[in-house]
Amino acid sequence: MSRATETALVREGRSSYEGAAATAIGLSGVVFAVGLGTLVDVLKITPPAAGVQLSTAMGIALLSLGVGVIGFGLASRLGYVDTRPQPSAGIVAAVAFTCVWFAIGALVAGAIGLGTVSWMAVGLVAGAVAFAVTAFPREDIGSTLPAGSVAVLGGVALATGVIGPGWEWVLVSYNATLFGDTAVPVVVMFASLLTGWAAAKAYGGFGARGRNVGAYVLIYLIVLSILSVLVGLVAFVVVKGLPGLFHGFSIGGEQVISWPFLTNGASLLADVAGVFPALVGTVWLVIGAVLFAVPTGVGAAVFLSEYAEQGRFTQVVEVATNGLWSTPSIVFGLFGAAFLIPRFGNNKSLIAGMLTLGFMLLPLVLITSREAILAVPDEYRDASAALGVSKWKTIRSVVLPAAVPGITTGVILGVGRIAGETAPILLTTGGGVLPGKSAAPSVLGGFQVSASPPFVTNPSLLEATSALPYQLYALITAGLSGNIEAPQQFAWGLALTLLLVVLVFYAIGIATRYYFRKKLHQ
Amino acid sequence: MSQTDPVDATDEMNRTAGQTISTTDGETAEETRSEWVDYDTGGKTKLAVKDLDVHYSDDHALKDVSMDIPEQSVTALIGPSGCGKSTFLRCLNRMNDRIRSASINGTVELDGEDIYQDGIDLVELRKRVGMVFQSPNPFPKSIRANVSYGPRKHGDIETGLLARLTGRADPESEEELVKRSLERAALWEEVSDRLEDNALGLSGGQQQRLCIARCLAVDPEIILMDEPASALDPIATSKIEDLIEDLAQDYTVVVVTHSMQQAARVSDQTAVFLTGGELVEYDNTEKIFEDPESQRVEDYISGKFG
Ligand SMILES: Nc1ncnc2c1ncn2[C@@H]1O[C@H](COP(=O)(O)OP(=O)(O)OP(=O)(O)O)[C@@H](O)[C@H]1O
Ligand SMILES: [Mg+2]
Repeated sequence: MSRATETALVREGRSSYEGAAATAIGLSGVVFAVGLGTLVDVLKITPPAAGVQLSTAMGIALLSLGVGVIGFGLASRLGYVDTRPQPSAGIVAAVAFTCVWFAIGALVAGAIGLGTVSWMAVGLVAGAVAFAVTAFPREDIGSTLPAGSVAVLGGVALATGVIGPGWEWVLVSYNATLFGDTAVPVVVMFASLLTGWAAAKAYGGFGARGRNVGAYVLIYLIVLSILSVLVGLVAFVVVKGLPGLFHGFSIGGEQVISWPFLTNGASLLADVAGVFPALVGTVWLVIGAVLFAVPTGVGAAVFLSEYAEQGRFTQVVEVATNGLWSTPSIVFGLFGAAFLIPRFGNNKSLIAGMLTLGFMLLPLVLITSREAILAVPDEYRDASAALGVSKWKTIRSVVLPAAVPGITTGVILGVGRIAGETAPILLTTGGGVLPGKSAAPSVLGGFQVSASPPFVTNPSLLEATSALPYQLYALITAGLSGNIEAPQQFAWGLALTLLLVVLVFYAIGIATRYYFRKKLHQ
Repeated sequence: MSQTDPVDATDEMNRTAGQTISTTDGETAEETRSEWVDYDTGGKTKLAVKDLDVHYSDDHALKDVSMDIPEQSVTALIGPSGCGKSTFLRCLNRMNDRIRSASINGTVELDGEDIYQDGIDLVELRKRVGMVFQSPNPFPKSIRANVSYGPRKHGDIETGLLARLTGRADPESEEELVKRSLERAALWEEVSDRLEDNALGLSGGQQQRLCIARCLAVDPEIILMDEPASALDPIATSKIEDLIEDLAQDYTVVVVTHSMQQAARVSDQTAVFLTGGELVEYDNTEKIFEDPESQRVEDYISGKFG
């Protein structure tokens, strides 16, 4: 064979094959998305659409996908199309299919009601066959036959209604029941993932290019499902929370924008109960914690990475900070209650909460700042030193600016965590379940100058304050009742507000990081 | 040290074989003679290096180097890769102190004062002995900020808020300094209309010249340059060479180069280091390139090895 034909860059006579494979990839994607939709309850499998039950339709789709995929493999193996398969599908695929078919064999045997020994045996035989079929034939058979068979089996089960809406399986030892509306989407998603992958390999003509396309489709589908779970989660809270959040909201009139849920307290007099005190409390808690943790954390990081001798001491500090970051928040809360509260007037107070959350935030700021500072190239330090600039000036004007994006990332992550903390606030900050508007801390207006030490006082820092996560917790433990109408709606609105507050802090952090990145790089 | 004649029988054999002249046990077959490096520079000595030894952990990178570097002249350091030229250069402004594994013995006298004695102010030393690194290392800041960085940090030009409020800020002198430095480094024409752009966006050769400008802005007495023209095209290279010659009017310049032509063109005296970190010959540049004493130096210069 001449080298020219061997390495031809454009392959001919494959367009219809490629077209069929591309269609199969597309269909797999659609089936996967539908399966995802039914799993997260956007689509229902029970009511028949156009006379056909959704699960039956998906079964037929899977069946044809499975047959198609096996067909791609055979067409390639029998030489009808020009492909570049490798001698074997590879050990990874072989092991994966062994596991898949072991599980399928065992499940089927178990569902039929065979005993322990026999389901094991059936699983092992199925796994062994799958291993042989994947590993020994050429890649085009090895990666299509086992995948297609999964789809065919699943398709038959769905199309014939063996697994369907009414299906249920009592898992005796788990004390739980598996229902059809969970099983159907799982089968559909799994089988379509496999056919999508196998069809993508066929589309790429197997070999290196086929594996590339296969991996791409696999990753794409998995990312799709992860993203949709995330989006679904947020959408769930948003949909549930919007009525509460916008209760009584109006634009125009005297105040231009009237948003009672955010600007009212929960007193009897207010016609719309709001979360103002808790909102203000959370914002102040976060600001206080950041003001405390960022300077100390960054300062400690500078000392540890620029001044301290790298060795046992810094290692110990590193382990300790990592440990502190993973310490449960209730432990920080207890520390705050036992150590800080007696020092700030012996009752729960905003400042005790700020400091407790600050202590929680400190390790993460320290860890990420240290990483960011160590990541600054030594060339900058050398260049600065060679210009006769002292170490401290170098740190201030070269090292820290270059580390700011990394430090900001740490603060963003940390704020996300502390803003939603409930336990430490419960123990240190307190506040009522449904505080009236007057209970909101007015930190800025609260400063008072006095003639005797400490000269400046701020009583609102020393008062118990509510915070969004705490209020949510308190509402739920109070059985979602109280002197407000529709407490359920109120609670969801509260949750959405908390989510938005965290997002706003994120946005501030990301904007800061963007600004400094841009300054550093363009 | 045996007093073998450099052109003895072994040497002849090796030369006919056209190979490096070290025997299997690592001992150099040819003798290095102390008088080959004992060059009387004539002018006033700016830097006097005596018995300088540098180890990186167990690696002996520089062996017992002694040389006098005269004021207001260009001294070229040449030698094969890895022979310790950068190491030597870094000893002259104590940048080697920053490498943890490095241990340095010997003395380096700047205007008669040992820079390795206790109590030396490194910040002050490095203000007087500037350095341009082998690989360009601009700060991730604007071109202008890169050039004015040194003077700003030294308080020579004040740009802070306080200085502006009290009227001490002098934006014109900064402008002037940036322009002058960039002009001398042959970069002004290319960047004059984008001084606010980030320096990392410059090409490698432009970054190299920016680093030269940054060093010049501090106005040191001695300028150490480690292959300042390695990433430059012939035109920029000749501009940098002109700059080096020009600098020698006022400054003491020590320049590492891999280009024999460059060393021959710009330098007054040349030091040849050979593999193993020894200074083999140090003399007037003409003498080194036309009639070196050492056979190995002659081989290196004529491209036979290294
Ligand atoms: N930071 C360091 N740590 C350990 N060893 C080093 C270090 N820097 C240099 N060396 C070693 O010292 C020797 C001399 O290195 P040096 O950088 O001075 O060579 P050079 O003459 O500048 O070479 P080149 O022409 O390639 O730049 C080399 O063997 C190198 O491996
Ligand atoms: Mg070097």
